[in-house]
Amino acid sequence: MNVFRKYLRDNRRSIIGWTIAMSVVSAMYTSFYPTVGQNPDMAKAMDAYPQALKDALHMQDLTDPANYLASTVFGLLIPALVIVMAIAYGVKAVAADEEAHTLDLVLAHPVGRGSLALQRVAAIGASLAIVSAAVLAVTLALRNSAGLSAVAPDRFVAVCVQLLLFGLVYGSLAYAVGAITGRRGLALGVSAGVAVLSYLAYSFFVQVDALQWTKNLSPFQWYLGGEPLKHGLQWGDSGLLLLVSAVLVAAGTARFTRRDVAV
Amino acid sequence: MAADTGATSGARPSSATETTGSRGGLLGPMRGTPAIQTQGLRKIYGHGKAAKTALNGLDLTVERGEVFGFLGPNGAGKTTTIRLLLDLLRPSAGRISVLGEDPRSRPELRRRIGYLAGDFVVDGRQTGADLLAYLGRLRGGVDRERVAALAERLDLDTSRRISGLSKGNRQKIGVVQAFMHAPELLILDEPTSGLDPFLQQQFVELVQEAKAGGQTVFMSSHVMSEVQATCDRVGIIRGGELAAVEQVEGLRQRAFRKIEITFAQPVDPAEFAGLAGVSDVTADGPVVRCRLAGTADELVKTAARHTVVDLLSEEPELEELFFAYYAHGEGSRR
Repeated sequence: MNVFRKYLRDNRRSIIGWTIAMSVVSAMYTSFYPTVGQNPDMAKAMDAYPQALKDALHMQDLTDPANYLASTVFGLLIPALVIVMAIAYGVKAVAADEEAHTLDLVLAHPVGRGSLALQRVAAIGASLAIVSAAVLAVTLALRNSAGLSAVAPDRFVAVCVQLLLFGLVYGSLAYAVGAITGRRGLALGVSAGVAVLSYLAYSFFVQVDALQWTKNLSPFQWYLGGEPLKHGLQWGDSGLLLLVSAVLVAAGTARFTRRDVAV
Repeated sequence: MAADTGATSGARPSSATETTGSRGGLLGPMRGTPAIQTQGLRKIYGHGKAAKTALNGLDLTVERGEVFGFLGPNGAGKTTTIRLLLDLLRPSAGRISVLGEDPRSRPELRRRIGYLAGDFVVDGRQTGADLLAYLGRLRGGVDRERVAALAERLDLDTSRRISGLSKGNRQKIGVVQAFMHAPELLILDEPTSGLDPFLQQQFVELVQEAKAGGQTVFMSSHVMSEVQATCDRVGIIRGGELAAVEQVEGLRQRAFRKIEITFAQPVDPAEFAGLAGVSDVTADGPVVRCRLAGTADELVKTAARHTVVDLLSEEPELEELFFAYYAHGEGSRR
């Protein structure tokens, strides 16, 4: 587990930074609920928005605490931050290290390529677990004072677990493209492109009947579509998020263990 | 901790049979497979029309306990060979055996190898001590005192962040990590590039000690003095093939010097052409250039008949020496 610990240690400042950022964002959104969600004027203003826009932004009836959380804290900035963090870490795991010529030295040591890659992927999972746990802790801490007690604590746990798995998909994708090609820019570009497309599929493509089906391919749908804040942990969606991550990691690792490490 | 016991305990039984010869203490572990052996090793980068052949059937044998210099022009395939030995690259064809094993067989083989690249690069956001501790753990633990002793000997401060170190100091960390576990085989790729003369000298001593301790060293180098001071044999690679292998001692005996004499007035080069050991005489105004093998006596006495303004004597690059020797057709072993 040397590589695992080293990866976390090397990224400790970054992990602390992400944890603080996401805690602050969660705290802000959560504590705005009394002024936004429970404000009749706001609700009226919302009514005036076109339905298509509200659908796209998943802003139905923000006075409902679960809806408010799903479209603010857990629906906008936090998943966006989680994606950025996961992709950055995934790219770093192999491709960035390889392009910086720093991977050679470690691989010249008695450590297998598969073991190295999987330990780093595990470290990405652990980092995402840390920030997800921070988001959970902050939202739970503010739950009563923000008037969100109608949402049970286990629902918060459910959405944070799915947030973690959601991040894992993008981290695994960035890792896999990097591990297969050894190219940092490509890994970053493909992952960012997929992230944007998957958000569009979840939000805007659904407005077009012919593109409705794309929603079911979006990790956003697997993360929030089953409304874990209302119905608890969605085993099917969670399983899908985990399965896609596992397939990506397996594909990336299989290629990485067989190819040349670039000079 | 226990990482190095294999090498030392392997050497111990032979001390009971000390009578086997001058290097008897080392013969035990040296017997058997060579340290490095490649057969028909080919490496082709890319596919189709973009394919580029880096190695074209390399047959190389490095015996246990020897220091082998690997020389050749840039792009000849030196680094490709080294990366194949470390399993960073996979061969397109041919076989590789390192310490009797296929490099691809298992990562544990690399416990017995130390590697240093000329452009030693690591993440700068850590101290030298952090990095060395990590690499030591990857090796299953190394003797801390040995690491500290190596660092002190090279005058390396391991408590500083690597990003704040000069190129030379970074390279010192590379030297420490390659030698710290006293590996059976050291694979060094242009190891002293960027090191100052003091450190090059320290490095030469480290290699000599490794050799005395029965370790095998395989290194590519451009530094003639370093190769002469450390290597038993040198191999020259050209165009992805091993052009020749020669004992360093043999090369040195055939060594020639490049001589350049500047006279006050132009002189007739024919005066020098027939002298013992002198060849390739050319004149360029008052400057006469030639090659000299053996004693300089006749050349100097002949030159002294004229007014000598300047006299330069230069050692050739080892590659030059090598090819000069082979160009004269004395040896044609491939």
